[in-house]
Amino acid sequence: MTTQRTQDELGRPMPPPEFRAVTEAIVANIERVIEGKTATVRLALAVMLAEGHLLIEDVPGVGKTKLAKALARSIDCSVRRIQFTPDLLPSDVTGVSVFNQEERDFEFKPGAVFANIVVGDEINRASPKTQSALLECMEERQVTVDGVTYPLQTPFMVVATQNPIEMEGTYPLPEAQRDRFTARIAMGYPDAGAELAMLDGHGAADPVLDLLPVSDAGTVRRLIATVREVHAADAVRQYAVNLVNATRESPELRLGASPRATLQLLRTGRAVAALEGRDYVLPDDLQSLAVPVLAHRIIPTAESQLSRRTTDAIVADIVRRLPVPADRQRSPYGTGTQYGTGRR
Amino acid sequence: MSQRRRTTLVAASATLLAALPLSSVFATWAWFVDAVIMVAVITGIALGVRSLRTAAWVPTAATMLGLLFVLTVLFRSGHELLWLIPTPGTVGHFHSLLVNAGADMRELGVPVPDREGLLFLSTLGVGVVAIVVDLMTLVLRRPALAGLPMLAIYSVPVAVREDSVSFLPFAAGAAGYLWLLATDNVDRIRRFGRRFTGDGRDLGAWEPSPLAAAGRRLALAGVAVAVVLPMAVPGSNGGLLARFGPTAGDGTGDGLGRGGNGASVDLYAALSGQLNSNRTFDMVKVQTTDPTPYYLRFGVADDVTTAGFRSRRPAGSQPATGGLPAPAQEAGVTLRTYHAQVQIVSLNMNSLPVYLQPTRTGKLDSAWFYDRTDQLIYSRRDNSRNKKYDFDYVRAEFSPDALRTARPLEPDNPIQRQYTAVPPVGEVEKTVASITAGKRTPYDKVLAIHSYFSADNGFRYSLETKGGTSGSAIVDFLTNKQGFCEQYSAAMAWLVRAAGIPARVAFGFSRGSNQSGNTWTLTNRNLHAWTEVYFDRFGWVPFDPTPSAFVDGAPSAWAPDPSAPQNAPDTTAPRNDLPIPGGPDRSGAAAASGGPREDRAVDNGAGVPAAPADPWPVWSVLVAVLAVALLLTPAGWRALRRRRRRPGRRLTVPPPTVLGATVVSDDAAADLARRDAHDAWDELVDTMIDYRFPVDLASTPRVIAEHLIVSAALDEWATTGARLLGQAEERARYARQPLRSDDLAGSLRAVRDAISHRVSWRTRLRAVFLPASVLSRWHAAVNEALTRVAESMVRQRERWVRSLSPRRLLPGRRG
Repeated sequence: MTTQRTQDELGRPMPPPEFRAVTEAIVANIERVIEGKTATVRLALAVMLAEGHLLIEDVPGVGKTKLAKALARSIDCSVRRIQFTPDLLPSDVTGVSVFNQEERDFEFKPGAVFANIVVGDEINRASPKTQSALLECMEERQVTVDGVTYPLQTPFMVVATQNPIEMEGTYPLPEAQRDRFTARIAMGYPDAGAELAMLDGHGAADPVLDLLPVSDAGTVRRLIATVREVHAADAVRQYAVNLVNATRESPELRLGASPRATLQLLRTGRAVAALEGRDYVLPDDLQSLAVPVLAHRIIPTAESQLSRRTTDAIVADIVRRLPVPADRQRSPYGTGTQYGTGRR
Repeated sequence: MSQRRRTTLVAASATLLAALPLSSVFATWAWFVDAVIMVAVITGIALGVRSLRTAAWVPTAATMLGLLFVLTVLFRSGHELLWLIPTPGTVGHFHSLLVNAGADMRELGVPVPDREGLLFLSTLGVGVVAIVVDLMTLVLRRPALAGLPMLAIYSVPVAVREDSVSFLPFAAGAAGYLWLLATDNVDRIRRFGRRFTGDGRDLGAWEPSPLAAAGRRLALAGVAVAVVLPMAVPGSNGGLLARFGPTAGDGTGDGLGRGGNGASVDLYAALSGQLNSNRTFDMVKVQTTDPTPYYLRFGVADDVTTAGFRSRRPAGSQPATGGLPAPAQEAGVTLRTYHAQVQIVSLNMNSLPVYLQPTRTGKLDSAWFYDRTDQLIYSRRDNSRNKKYDFDYVRAEFSPDALRTARPLEPDNPIQRQYTAVPPVGEVEKTVASITAGKRTPYDKVLAIHSYFSADNGFRYSLETKGGTSGSAIVDFLTNKQGFCEQYSAAMAWLVRAAGIPARVAFGFSRGSNQSGNTWTLTNRNLHAWTEVYFDRFGWVPFDPTPSAFVDGAPSAWAPDPSAPQNAPDTTAPRNDLPIPGGPDRSGAAAASGGPREDRAVDNGAGVPAAPADPWPVWSVLVAVLAVALLLTPAGWRALRRRRRRPGRRLTVPPPTVLGATVVSDDAAADLARRDAHDAWDELVDTMIDYRFPVDLASTPRVIAEHLIVSAALDEWATTGARLLGQAEERARYARQPLRSDDLAGSLRAVRDAISHRVSWRTRLRAVFLPASVLSRWHAAVNEALTRVAESMVRQRERWVRSLSPRRLLPGRRG
């Protein structure tokens, strides 16, 4: 993923209290709509601060679109929504040059991606052809139409929702596009209390419509600048590399994670650390992010598919087994992951 | 279940096969009948109880009861209820049987007759082995371990017989063991799945698998090597003196009493057995008119082969009841006639101990004969048990000058021929030649050889004999110069024979020291062996090379104790009137007789070396110190590490001075804090390992600390401490600024105290003395070193192979 902007364009990093206040406000705002999903909401925010794109995958009706919309509305910036349908065309996404009768020239009509936050609903209902239109914008943050390249605004984030591929009327996302999404999160069903609260709150009207922005694009740019400052020690970087490498070497996987995944893993780790008020990344952050960041990029072997091993489980296993590197030589116990018998 | 039943039967058969080596200990096969009954009953009980599907320990308990019942029935005392239920009387009977067996083991040479005590012991042993084999094979499913009790049986004949045990029983035992292993493995494989030939065809239950052919060949080759190799190794089946060792036994069994009624006594076995016995007991009481009697004598070993000195059957048909030939009067020989009465307390032989030279006996029946050559009173039918008899005897005192006049015997003299035969050993001949160089008369030669065994020459009396590597026991003794009367007497006889003078070994009792009036009580510790040398005209003259200080020997003018002061051969006589405790002193007896012993040492003066200081206290203290040191090493190592890691230890760095001379930069302080945090964390992890808390390397410090808090159920104080340690380590590792805390040591202590209170005392003990953190480090280090060695060896070998490979020379190939 190309870097969005230089330091100057992003603005000054924020001092920790202010950072905390802003992010807490955003989270609280979203939670007015999505009850009882703090971890998911924070992860979504972390992906945004990590300059990534978010893929929300779950069964219909659990609030995927609501989360996307709430996140978009909480920030006072341009938001566009694309409803992906099977007959959607690439030009609907990127824009199209139309002939202007008055000027007797072709004029570029920007598509839906020209916004700070693009909500792609039901993204896997569009054909792979249309999906491909997103590849350039998501990775390079620009659109090339008829040989002319148009840059996109910053912050730029695609928040896409999709149904699991087993659902009818869906196409699987191409690997290239899956790899462009920083994280895939699942909403999951709300617990009983949250669902009850939802009944109360959503009974009359859609609360998303009442949501007021608590931040703006400039602030988000500064938040991003702050996240970039978070310290990642050598050991943590090493751990990120090890994690991704482990997916490539796992006998259960046909395709491991890409170097882009390493980059995004560490970047998201920085964002999570910053959201937790730390100025340094912990292996714990990477561990908590491994499944959302890595699981949707990898392809299991036929055997693991047959034995119904989900990619989530495979990644979780890798995390459970991989030793955490320390920034000094201390491994007198060999390479075993577990020592001590636990017998007392 | 049927397979299980089969394994039970195989285990029983293997036990019986493994017991077969006992046949070389017993003279008949009666023991085997008892053993078969025992094993059959135990196996039957095991099968029956197992078919009831009870708990695993029940069959074993039942077989133990079966063992008791079989013993009760086979060795009845008459006190049983219904012939079956043991009573206290039965237990007493068993005890007496065991005591008898112990006595028999001391007294009898192999092959032993069917004594009830010995049969009881062998049946009990076989039964116990059967139970243990059953337990190992069927309950613990470790049939390989069942080899140990089988080996225990095999070690009995090996220990008892000095000559090699026939390989047949060994092969039988080994076959039984292999059968058991094979059966268990077949069982295991069948439980795992089908057995097949490797080319797809299934195997029948009894068909040997071609896949296991390598295993069968290995087993066969192993047994073959075990049988053949000892035959090829020289000297492993014993030279001359091997049979004189403490465990010696006359393997051939043709001791004095083969012709008697079965109660043969192996002289060497009896001697070493009794001298090494823990117990002292009276064997013979003698009343004699001689104020200073010489040795009481009951056996002779005169037949020397490569296997050593052995006794021959006494011959001669002269009845011992009447008058016996008296020694001829020679010039220089003082003959005095005495009378002696002997009461045998506990000696079971087919010859009677007498003083030389008996001329008339009394109270003996016609079963007793006199062997003129060996000068023994013997019987083929009767034995010496509880005999009471008396005899007149003529004691000869030889004067050295007279003996010096004796000439060498003619080479064709039968005595010269018979008693100088000795296997040629180069070292011995060299030794003899150097000893006897310049000595002309036979007596001077014998005297030189006799003095050769002096303490001055380095010979040392000890009941412990040292083995050697020369392959010949006599050379070993001449090299090690350590032994007791068996070695001394046999070696002297050998050397004298090698010098061409007839000699033999005599057995009997030394004079002893337990005297009251004219009655001498001789105990098992007085058993003794000495050398007799034949001189022309004078006959057999006794020489005792053993230092008399150790055996209460009787000195003689013609053979002064070589270890006594040379200038005072006659003054040794009064010394023997001292109350010298009986028998060769051993560590146990030494304590009881410390007083007199010291007297003797003082009396002997400098000429006689004091009894060799018993080294065992020194050794045992040394071993104990070593063991304690070994035990404490891991603990010490651990304590050292803990010390080295104490946080705040490095606060001795020069404090920053305001003047700016030495400015401690922030980086240095951060480094310090980082190292403190690391040290504290390492210490915590090691403590957790020591106390057997799981430490997951895939966990971050934060997670490890939280796990510890939960799994050890830490109190609030320790919880705070553990979290602090975790955070400090986390920041030290991953953050720009480490956490600076002075409380790391306190937290560490709190957590350790809390942990050690959670675990059992055993874990706590192990954490102190066998800390797993230290041991696993050592283990890893050793493994690593071994791996490195193995790798380098592989490399070396490859280089060799490559350099030697002829392919290198083929055209078109580059080495």
